[in-house]
Amino acid sequence: MSFRTTFSAGAFALLATSSIATAAGVSPLDIVKPVADYKIFVSEKLEKLVADTKSFTDAVKAGDLKKAKALYAPTRVNYETIEPVAELFSDLDKSIDSRADDHEKREKDPDFIGFHRIEYGLFSQNSTEGLAPIADKLMTDVTDLNKRVKDLTFPPDKVVGGAAALMEEVAATKISGEEDRYSHTDLFDFKGNVDGAKKIYDLVRPLIVKDDGKFVAKVDANFATVEKTLAKYKTADGYESYDKLTEDDRKVLAAAVNTLAEDLSTLRGKLGLS
Amino acid sequence: MKQSDTIKESFVTDRRRLLLGVGAAGGAIAAGLTSAQAAGNAGAEQVTDAPVSNKMQERQPFHGEHQAGIVTPRPAAGMIVTFDVLAQTPRDVEQLFRTLTDRIKFLMAGGTPPAFDPKLPPSDSGILGPIVPPDNLTITVSLGDSFFAKRDWLAPLKPVRLSRMTGFPNDALDPALCHGDISLQICANTPDATIHALRDILKNTPDLMVVRWKQEGSVPVLPPKADGSHESARNFLGFRDGSANPDARDAALMDRVVWVRDGGEEPGWARHGTYQAVRIIRNFVERWDRTPLNEQQAIFGRHKATGAPLDGKVESDTPNYAADPEGKVTPLDAHIRLANPRTKGSEENLILRRPFNYSNGVSKSGQLEQGLLFIVYQADLEKGFITVQKRLKDEPLAEYLKPIGGGYFFTLPGVTNEDDFLGRSLLQAAGQIASGKKS
Amino acid sequence: MIKKMSAPVSQPAGPKSPQPPSAKLMRFAVIGAGVLVLAGIGVFYWASLQTTRGSADNAVLVTIRNGACEPNEMTVPAGRNTFKIVNQTERAVEWEILDGVMVLEERENIVPGLSQTVTTKLPVGDFKITCGLLSNARGTLHVTPSTESQAEAARPALVAFIGPLAEYQVFLAMQAGALVKATQALDAAIQAGDLEKARGLYEAARLPYMRIEPAAKRFADLDNVIDPVADYLAKREQDPGFVGFHRIEYGLFSARSTDGLAPVSARLVADVTTLKDRIGTLRFTPDQIATSAAQLVTALADTKIPVGEEHYAQTDLTDFDANIEGVAKMMALLKPVAEKAAPKVVAEIESKLAAVRGTLKDLRKPDGFPPYTSISGESRKLLAMQMHALAAAIGKLNAAVGLA
Repeated sequence: MSFRTTFSAGAFALLATSSIATAAGVSPLDIVKPVADYKIFVSEKLEKLVADTKSFTDAVKAGDLKKAKALYAPTRVNYETIEPVAELFSDLDKSIDSRADDHEKREKDPDFIGFHRIEYGLFSQNSTEGLAPIADKLMTDVTDLNKRVKDLTFPPDKVVGGAAALMEEVAATKISGEEDRYSHTDLFDFKGNVDGAKKIYDLVRPLIVKDDGKFVAKVDANFATVEKTLAKYKTADGYESYDKLTEDDRKVLAAAVNTLAEDLSTLRGKLGLS
Repeated sequence: MKQSDTIKESFVTDRRRLLLGVGAAGGAIAAGLTSAQAAGNAGAEQVTDAPVSNKMQERQPFHGEHQAGIVTPRPAAGMIVTFDVLAQTPRDVEQLFRTLTDRIKFLMAGGTPPAFDPKLPPSDSGILGPIVPPDNLTITVSLGDSFFAKRDWLAPLKPVRLSRMTGFPNDALDPALCHGDISLQICANTPDATIHALRDILKNTPDLMVVRWKQEGSVPVLPPKADGSHESARNFLGFRDGSANPDARDAALMDRVVWVRDGGEEPGWARHGTYQAVRIIRNFVERWDRTPLNEQQAIFGRHKATGAPLDGKVESDTPNYAADPEGKVTPLDAHIRLANPRTKGSEENLILRRPFNYSNGVSKSGQLEQGLLFIVYQADLEKGFITVQKRLKDEPLAEYLKPIGGGYFFTLPGVTNEDDFLGRSLLQAAGQIASGKKS
Repeated sequence: MIKKMSAPVSQPAGPKSPQPPSAKLMRFAVIGAGVLVLAGIGVFYWASLQTTRGSADNAVLVTIRNGACEPNEMTVPAGRNTFKIVNQTERAVEWEILDGVMVLEERENIVPGLSQTVTTKLPVGDFKITCGLLSNARGTLHVTPSTESQAEAARPALVAFIGPLAEYQVFLAMQAGALVKATQALDAAIQAGDLEKARGLYEAARLPYMRIEPAAKRFADLDNVIDPVADYLAKREQDPGFVGFHRIEYGLFSARSTDGLAPVSARLVADVTTLKDRIGTLRFTPDQIATSAAQLVTALADTKIPVGEEHYAQTDLTDFDANIEGVAKMMALLKPVAEKAAPKVVAEIESKLAAVRGTLKDLRKPDGFPPYTSISGESRKLLAMQMHALAAAIGKLNAAVGLA
């Protein structure tokens, strides 16, 4: 009997609270599963990031320029996919993924390290010289990130908000080709960002599809446009150089990505998280 | 390019239509632009007729203990332009200071520029007409760290807190938009008056200094309130900016917060000067416009519509953080709470903000290059801007901002009378050091 | 809403095994079913349950007479209150608690000479009472703050639990994954007839199950085939229902042979795989974390510690340790949400948890836990006592954060 009471009281409290929580009739508890699944997704990507970074940095340290160049984009794409979570640790984000313009002395700045510093060495200077300590530091940081994320209870608003954040990222910095300015592997990053956003969206999609069919159809269509356009540039082992992106396709992508950013920015509100 | 011209054109005509529609009494005066003539015979105005303003004769006093443009109420148009100074010797530097003094004195007063032989280029650009209206112009002259560093004879006289701006964690400083030997803050009722002033100064100092970077800005104009009260202007994020600014009419408070006084560590010549910190802070406005209102308000710590703190009703209400230690009403990392925690001792970090909004064009990614031309004055740069900015390190607002330029400067004391000139106390102090060495 | 509540967890049916499960297992099964039923029926069931419980001794007596109620002005503490309404008039009347124009609670058609009880949960505030005929003067009900209402006010918003609940699901998913992997390894050794290797892998395979026991127990059908103990089966070790971990344990450690274990371990792999899939669909409500943790700790104190479960391998202490690891994880997840509302309860749980872990640590030898048979009655008693204290502390948590 005592068990019954406890549980039924719990159920009561739950109903009372959830009825005021959201407009669309989504209970906060409906979001538990998507958040859990997202953490598992992120954990898998991070395991892969750690493993891939090991191979990448090993190649850099071994002076294997060709291999290092080939591994650069496929390694960092894991990071780009989970950026909403990675960005929660601003110190690591800066040391792993900052760009030259984030530093006063640009490429010459001693604080300019991480993926893009190695990119600069490999693709702009065409050499692995002096990159070994930066590779070691990258490996340490990526390992540290994996550990920190493991211990992190994911804030649901950051998870759901992450879908829009990734599209904002693409809209603000990727669409211009300024992210991977030395290697021109931007389309790889682009794909990672889109996959990351789509994953989050897909996880919460069942919660809104019934009440918001029109919205879901529009977002689905824009994701499809982005994926279809990117698919044109798919190669055997990745994506074409950003230079190959036609002006027309760039515009199609820009429009779809901005619309996604606009629409996905309402996800948190729809799910009662803001 | 063509497109932006059309947009500007249509804005101008729209504005005029609006003015005519509202009539002279309401919005027109508020906008600083009235149309008495047009109000009488609205139909007579031509498409290309100049918009008119009854504020062109507004004038700020040039002479005073302090330079104008600091505690002066902020007009609608502002500009920061910095220069690399070529003048090296005391003689050349004095010539620069005297020239600046003369030009600023004339421009702030307005008047008729001298007529030259028409075979020569005219003395004035003429963009404001043959008689230059003052239009509430102020020009405020400040010196950068490099001005002292590059001149041995001035180095010992550098204000003690003056340094070269270094990047904060969220900064992405563009070297082409940073620092300078001299900064001029030029403010007026209309952008044309600031542009006119800049061109006048460039024309008169080509051998003494060269432009390094420039950023123009504006302040959105509001209609006057029926009760005569004023409210703070809004930034490009749509929030009131300056709500908690110290009262610039309170001379004693300004003495404490803004002006360098006797008896401190600062060199004697610096008395009545102040530190100017400038930051060009890009706002990611598209992203901001896609952020839920609740979150925008939590990020700032104010209601967007009224400007009231989250625990208050009107803009002038003082937030009571002591009653909200866990940040349930005003989050602990809200912008206004971090910037001014209102704890004991935090009044040491008060600063006088005087920012303008800027809008420059479009980024490579097709996003608007807009933001805040942040200008702030304080008696102690370390305790003021630098401390406040350090407190803002992890604020959620940072996600929507990218500081890309700016610099630290020391604003010279004012010009007190006709014999005085900008920088006189500094040059005199340098002269004393030089003669001391000789004897 | 009601439909939503019943969704994912309602599928596990009663035990399929022909043998009646143990009393302990039955209890878990009943609890499980109770949760599901209640969750499904929701408020309606809650309300009816309350009215039957409403014959509380400390009910507020209200007598309706012609023209007025006695008393006509009442003060009660916030939370659940029971009113006994006695109709002393000649007509059938109604009695209502009004919040402005909204009816909070009502009893209609109270027959002359009879009484009805009303049990309702009241928030802090002043309310009006209609008393019999509408022409009668309205009464006043003052509801003052109470411990219960204060806990409710301090209750973290439901959204605050999303993170911890999600994190618990991740933990369950990870452990379930580990369980499948380790069970597969055990199965491979058994299939290969490698007795020594299988004995070495037994404990490791079992630990993930122990860590997620509060969740795993909710699937009674699976628990009955993964974790039945011979003591509770009619024919004990000879019972056809004796399958799962302990059947393997019996073979490896008592019979010292892998003979006949191959089908058992193959089935175990299938069952833990089913469990892993089902765990993914499990939905915990915030209160169920503490409730199920307290149940497990109580079961440890009442059954596992006195009797033991690893009769042949004697690895009970390892089981307890893994159980407690799972409980500690649950508590750690709730801590950030519960800490503000219930700092004392959180601190108490932590200290009781530390005591249990301290005792377990003391029992541990450099090469691991000793066989359970070597543990003295006193040590067992101490451990059981500490478990009880821990269960009691955890039992306070829901109420303290306004979840009960």
